Amino acid sequence: MTHILKTYNLTKAFNGKEVILNINMSVKKGEIYGFLGPNGAGKTTVMRMITNLLKPTSGEIEILGEKLTDRSYEVLKRMGTIIEYPVFYDKLTARENLELHCEYMGYYDKKAIDNALKLVDLKGIDNKPVKEFSLGMKQRLGIARAITTKPEFLMLDEPINGLDPIGIKEFRSLFKMLSKEYGMTVLISTHILGEIEQIADTIGVINNGRLLDEVPMDTIRGKNTDYIEVVTMNCKKAVYVLEDHLNISNFRVIENNIIRIYEDNISQSHISKTLILNDVLIESISRKSSSLEDYFMNLLNGGVIDA
Amino acid sequence: MLKLIRLEMKKSKIRRYIKSAAFCNLGILFFMIVFVFIDKMEGASIFADYDEAFLAVDVLVRVTFTIFAAVLMSGLIINEYKNNTISILFTYPISRKKLIISKLLIVVIFTFVFIIISNIFVNSALLTLNIINNFIPGNLSMTIIKENSIKIVMNALSSSCISLIPLYFGMRKKSASTTIVSSILIALIINGNNYGFSLNSIVAIPITLAAIGVSIAYLSIKDIESKDIIS
Repeated sequence: MTHILKTYNLTKAFNGKEVILNINMSVKKGEIYGFLGPNGAGKTTVMRMITNLLKPTSGEIEILGEKLTDRSYEVLKRMGTIIEYPVFYDKLTARENLELHCEYMGYYDKKAIDNALKLVDLKGIDNKPVKEFSLGMKQRLGIARAITTKPEFLMLDEPINGLDPIGIKEFRSLFKMLSKEYGMTVLISTHILGEIEQIADTIGVINNGRLLDEVPMDTIRGKNTDYIEVVTMNCKKAVYVLEDHLNISNFRVIENNIIRIYEDNISQSHISKTLILNDVLIESISRKSSSLEDYFMNLLNGGVIDA
Repeated sequence: MLKLIRLEMKKSKIRRYIKSAAFCNLGILFFMIVFVFIDKMEGASIFADYDEAFLAVDVLVRVTFTIFAAVLMSGLIINEYKNNTISILFTYPISRKKLIISKLLIVVIFTFVFIIISNIFVNSALLTLNIINNFIPGNLSMTIIKENSIKIVMNALSSSCISLIPLYFGMRKKSASTTIVSSILIALIINGNNYGFSLNSIVAIPITLAAIGVSIAYLSIKDIESKDIIS
């Protein structure tokens, strides 16, 4: 089994209105999958369908090698989840909550709870009901609960919300560790790329209920996002020179006086020299790079079709 | 199933409910004693005979625990939906039907047991007081005890099923207060006493209502596996 999760034309409509449309995503075994999209894009709806809380209007979900149906209970044993805001039986203490969780999951390893609490670094909480916890502590406890039973597939909805910068860093390494050492497959949703771009192996981008792209991070990192930007008043002539004298075709003209050249085996000085020799006046020329953030912003903006 | 019931009891801290049920008993007893002595001071007797005394206690007990059942149901079912902990519960590898049935069983069984125990407690206390301070006319025969015991058990059975009716109203709005208010209305309508007459005394009525209660419980779990759980 190379895929832990696969969806086939997954669609969900509420009152006839499609909030999720034809999503085909696939999460590979052992990877960290970043599920990226703005607020309201449909991330949580998809995740609720994967945990069987919402039922697809059409399409199918295949998880851990099984087709998900109304009666797929056993498969839930092998998953750990936080969906939306982490909720608890908040009159009970953290430990009581985790004990209940293990009992319902049918998981009886006495050390598991201590281990999980240690991993998320929750201390001094023994006699405190969960309702007195801060959001950050609840988030930590939610992750502890999700990983206590050492699931094969861990699905976390916005797990970094409410954490301080140090906490975010700790969790990044925790997720990496879970993926590497426990072999867990991790699906993390977020609306901020920066939160996961360092740890994700694959990124799925969702907007308006549609999956816009699903790409391995290596591909994105490998993409040549550097370019040389030339500002000139004589754009037409510059284009002619680029095409005819330098044999460059990989460029774009923006706003009539800016040219972006994406060719990477040509030097900046060579371009400026050739342009000037051909009587093209250059106001400025510089090397720039577009960040991953830009890549996804472009994708998201391009994806707004019927907003 | 037993394990699920045990977990539910642990989760909802059932001890709190048992404690408050005990307080309810003391309250009912206090209420009865006050009535008895006010009437005695006025020179009248509140009860015509033992049957009436037993009935009075049973009515008070049933009204109390029908409402109590709604409180229990709010804690066990309605609040799980309201606080969205149902989203946690339904991601466990257990059938949703079993989860909800175990909750409903707790409500029905506890209501039944509370009604029986309270009847025994309040009646024993009242009869003991009656030995010292004779306020119930007539003689207490074995036949009277036997007949009334059967009545109490039958009424307890119907009441514990009737106490499921508020589930319907409570689930519509996912509101604990709706559940409890509707239980108060149901308890009062059924047991409201008009010159010795109440709806509960027409046998067909409690039986029909009990059947409605059970059907509501059944309908609430019938399609639950395929329902969307929306937070």
